[in-house]
Amino acid sequence: MLRSMNNIITGILSLIKGLIITFNNNFTSATTLQYPDEKKAMTERFRGLIDLYPEKCVACYQCVKACPTACLAMTHKQTDEKKKITNTFTYNIELCCFCGLCQQVCPTGAIYMNKIYEITTYERNKLYINLLNPEKYDEWPHTSPK
Amino acid sequence: MADLDIKEKKDIFTEEFLINMGPQHPSTHGVLSLELKLDGEMVLECTPHIGYLHRSFEKLAENRTYTQFIPFTDRLDYVASMNNNLGYCMAVENLLKLDITDRAKYIRVIVAELNRIASHLIAIGTFAQDLGAFATPLFYCFREREKIVDIFNEICGNRLTYNYIRIGGVQSDLPKGIEEKIKNFIKYMRSKIDEYDWLLTYNVIFLARAKNIGLLRKDIAINYSVTGPNLRASGVKRDLRKDRPYLVYDKFEFNVPVGVNGDAWDRYKVRIEEMRQSLKIVEQALGSLPQGDPTVKTGRVHKPAAGEAYFRTENPRGELGFYIVSDGSAYPYRLKIRAPSFSNLAVLPELIKDAKIADIVCISGSLDILMGEIDR
Ligand code: SF4
Ligand code: SF4
Repeated sequence: MLRSMNNIITGILSLIKGLIITFNNNFTSATTLQYPDEKKAMTERFRGLIDLYPEKCVACYQCVKACPTACLAMTHKQTDEKKKITNTFTYNIELCCFCGLCQQVCPTGAIYMNKIYEITTYERNKLYINLLNPEKYDEWPHTSPK
Repeated sequence: MADLDIKEKKDIFTEEFLINMGPQHPSTHGVLSLELKLDGEMVLECTPHIGYLHRSFEKLAENRTYTQFIPFTDRLDYVASMNNNLGYCMAVENLLKLDITDRAKYIRVIVAELNRIASHLIAIGTFAQDLGAFATPLFYCFREREKIVDIFNEICGNRLTYNYIRIGGVQSDLPKGIEEKIKNFIKYMRSKIDEYDWLLTYNVIFLARAKNIGLLRKDIAINYSVTGPNLRASGVKRDLRKDRPYLVYDKFEFNVPVGVNGDAWDRYKVRIEEMRQSLKIVEQALGSLPQGDPTVKTGRVHKPAAGEAYFRTENPRGELGFYIVSDGSAYPYRLKIRAPSFSNLAVLPELIKDAKIADIVCISGSLDILMGEIDR
């Protein structure tokens, strides 16, 4: 009897001790954001969706070879003066694992990763992106201005 | 009721009861399925079933180049991606006989130790949740982990699958101003660990629930090759960072916390102490961080000479080993991963046997098993 009383009292005391910690947290600033009204700014190095400056690309296929999941595919055209330009360049978001290997191997900085992170969609075919289309991400929610 | 249909005593009998726990049970931490044979409230037998998360990584490695496999190691122990990157890259560097710069070594130590803290935070948060301390400790742990994740987001640009440590160094140098942030975090985290001691460690209810539960004897732990905090909680002082120092761990001063009894509480306590030691290591590493370019220039495609290499590192969950066989081509001929959680799970039936059904969740939670690297 005495023992169980003792147990109850020490239990309650340690509960109170814990509650003091919880109570003290009332006076600290909030750690959460009111998403989706407030959005966290992504860092400079953030790896979002793949994006391309088509005019910079020299069709060297380095990014396609570096990709571990084969989600980039491209073809090229040979123009007269020994210069190659991209003909098609597609990107499959379904397979991308956002590893950033493609942007790291690109010799001209043509391929880069933007700051979009809200990448859900109702239709599967929207995940197949034509990188040469300048309006490709217009309907995707933007977390930072373009 | 005198003439009940019981004619002989043998009409009344007791039967063992078979239940399946998981793979969708919220407390099995992933897709682990336990087949339990019960006698009333006691567990007679437990058989874990694995394989629900199998993604065939070892086979996939055979047609990926050495660099292309790094993102896959992120997804082994996804709570401690940095440590996985580290183990794999060091194994490949061993195979290539590649020396890395001092700055890269220090950066690797810093990120690996920060990730160890993040991983232990999840371990103790979910363990407390399993014991019934609903939500509050878990949210506190996640709040602290968020700060580490933010630091990693700034360093490498991702929040869970970092792919930061690369063959020959790291993805890119530390960004400006990050050292200040890490130093602030160390100060903040120290006070928070003291808070956990108030909230959980010496809480009477927590003690009653975790003390003397799931005793893991020293000899059993060694026989099952349990490693990491679970082994140290049983009183075996084994830590690869001390016993076989890699990177620059031999330059830092830190202790290897060990437990006494090897019960669930000891395993929890060892993790708490390890976080303190990790903070100490990060602090020392930041203090003596050399300047310069962290990455050595290597070719884009690595072609190691035919041969083999095995390298093991101390992961938050134990010893992680990568065994790589090369036939001289750009792809590994064979890659074998020694995942610490696999051995830690193997010992679970020993611990659960003769325990009460209410303690199963406590025991499996205290082992901190992660299915990603068991099934791999
Ligand atoms: S981020 Fe990785 S997976 Fe995605 S396209 Fe680039 S290389 Fe491929
Ligand atoms: S690596 Fe850069 S330049 Fe080469 S094909 Fe890819 S995007 Fe174009």
